[in-house]
Amino acid sequence: MFRDVTFGQYYPSDSFVHKMDARVKLLLNLVYLVGIFFVVSFVGFAWITLFLLVAILASRVPVRNVLKSVKGVLFLLFFTVILNIFFTKGDNLLVKWWIIEIYAEGLIFAGKMFLRLSYLVIGSSILTLTTTPVDLTHALESLLKPLTWIKVPVHDLALIMSLALSLIPSLINETDRIIRAQKARGADFDTGGLIKRAKAFVPILIPLLVSSFRRAEELAFAMNSRCYEGATHRTCMRVMKLSWRDFLGTSVVLVFFVAVFIVYGTQTTWGTAEQLGWLYF
Amino acid sequence: MHIIKLTDVSYSYKVPAEDDSYTWQVGVKNIDLEIEQGSFVALVGHNGCGKSTLAKLLNGLFVPHSGKVEVAGMFTDDNKSIFNIRSNVGMVFQNPDNQMVTSIVEEDIAFGPENLGVPQKEIVERVHWALAKVGMSEFARRTTTRLSGGQKQRIAIAGALAMHPQVLVLDESTAMLDPQGRKEVLEVVHSLNKEEKMTVILITHFMEEVLGADKVVVMNHGCKVTEGTPMEVFSRSRLLEEVGLKVPRTIELARRLKSAGWNVDENCTDATELGDRVCQLLHNN
Repeated sequence: MFRDVTFGQYYPSDSFVHKMDARVKLLLNLVYLVGIFFVVSFVGFAWITLFLLVAILASRVPVRNVLKSVKGVLFLLFFTVILNIFFTKGDNLLVKWWIIEIYAEGLIFAGKMFLRLSYLVIGSSILTLTTTPVDLTHALESLLKPLTWIKVPVHDLALIMSLALSLIPSLINETDRIIRAQKARGADFDTGGLIKRAKAFVPILIPLLVSSFRRAEELAFAMNSRCYEGATHRTCMRVMKLSWRDFLGTSVVLVFFVAVFIVYGTQTTWGTAEQLGWLYF
Repeated sequence: MHIIKLTDVSYSYKVPAEDDSYTWQVGVKNIDLEIEQGSFVALVGHNGCGKSTLAKLLNGLFVPHSGKVEVAGMFTDDNKSIFNIRSNVGMVFQNPDNQMVTSIVEEDIAFGPENLGVPQKEIVERVHWALAKVGMSEFARRTTTRLSGGQKQRIAIAGALAMHPQVLVLDESTAMLDPQGRKEVLEVVHSLNKEEKMTVILITHFMEEVLGADKVVVMNHGCKVTEGTPMEVFSRSRLLEEVGLKVPRTIELARRLKSAGWNVDENCTDATELGDRVCQLLHNN
């Protein structure tokens, strides 16, 4: 049942993007996420498309894998588009039938919303496709380190994340085992309505919970045996080093988004849609 | 010279009763034990006999309620030396999945030295050394989830080795493995004992595994029943039976053959060797 579940969507490769420092990738992803909200025209989205294509090419991840990430938010996308089409009012009425009115502005707005949301997901998935969860954890720990000054237990949080990541596969196996054991004793998980099926999962959750606690206790013993006592005096084996790739990658992304900001950021603040003309559309 | 010495050690577990009171359940009781530096000691007994409690007493995970545990001249009830003791007594547990801290092999092995505050360059050296010792150098960058049980346990051993301990305690570390995995782990442990002169304490309920040991300690109901060389212990077969343990089958067979008048070595531990001997005798007749 859970055989196919692989956690994270890391796509192993040796590409330019894969070899970049996880911290840099994380920060650039933030720049991208913010930057994309400045883009207001289809021309701008065309440029973003080009940018994404270059990024995907440099990461050597098949386009199909990248697009797969959008599948997860398809439902959300669909709703956003529908809502925007039907509830945006404008000047150019295209269709009027019963209480439904569709305006050209609605279609345009929905289209832009669709692009913006899916590009958000696609951009972030390039990060997760090229960076292992472990690297991401390290990057987060390293980037959030300044917060230890205000007593945020950054190291502990990172360790919790890392432990959770390493426990997920064994918990999945455990769930699988419990399901099989219960099926062998005649439990039925596949028929009946939603409520009946949900109820059938209770006998799975309880043993899973119990075994998780047992696991946690054993893990605590194992960690204590290996002299764990929190972040104090702790050293780290992994060294994160910046390479020419990080500087090149950062330069490209920054130049691109500075350009985006100059074109849209300043004009949307100072001008109106009419003044912007084709840039706005 | 002994590296670990237990003097009249007792430990009990607090068990909640139905009303809010507690009862005490004996873990181990009045244990006296000396473990020689560089020796290979097997600790046997059936489930619930106190083996694992004893293991946890050895590196200060549990502190005895009475008596003393001395490790390399330090006592486990002294809070100041607890980290020194734990880095001296590496511990490998039963379930390989429950002792992995991260999902990358080399990072998991580095966990111990990182906690000890070892400088970064030395950690890398220690990790490579430990991986080589358990014969898994090529797995350094792999994820732990895709490894077999035996491989995971070897990684766990490497994780303990990276702290440069003098003693390695294996708390039923072979119990959940298939025969191949058990073999891998035992080979690694025996070679560490021979080549690195590491003191090994192997806790098990497989009697076959105690054969290579210098000393066997038998436990029952939290008490030490007997100790001695494997052959000495196997010769007390009635005592073993009383505590629910069995002499390894090969030895059992050799002994029966011997008592039936066959000219075989009654302490033969190798099934193939015994088989060959029997064939030879049959052929001669």
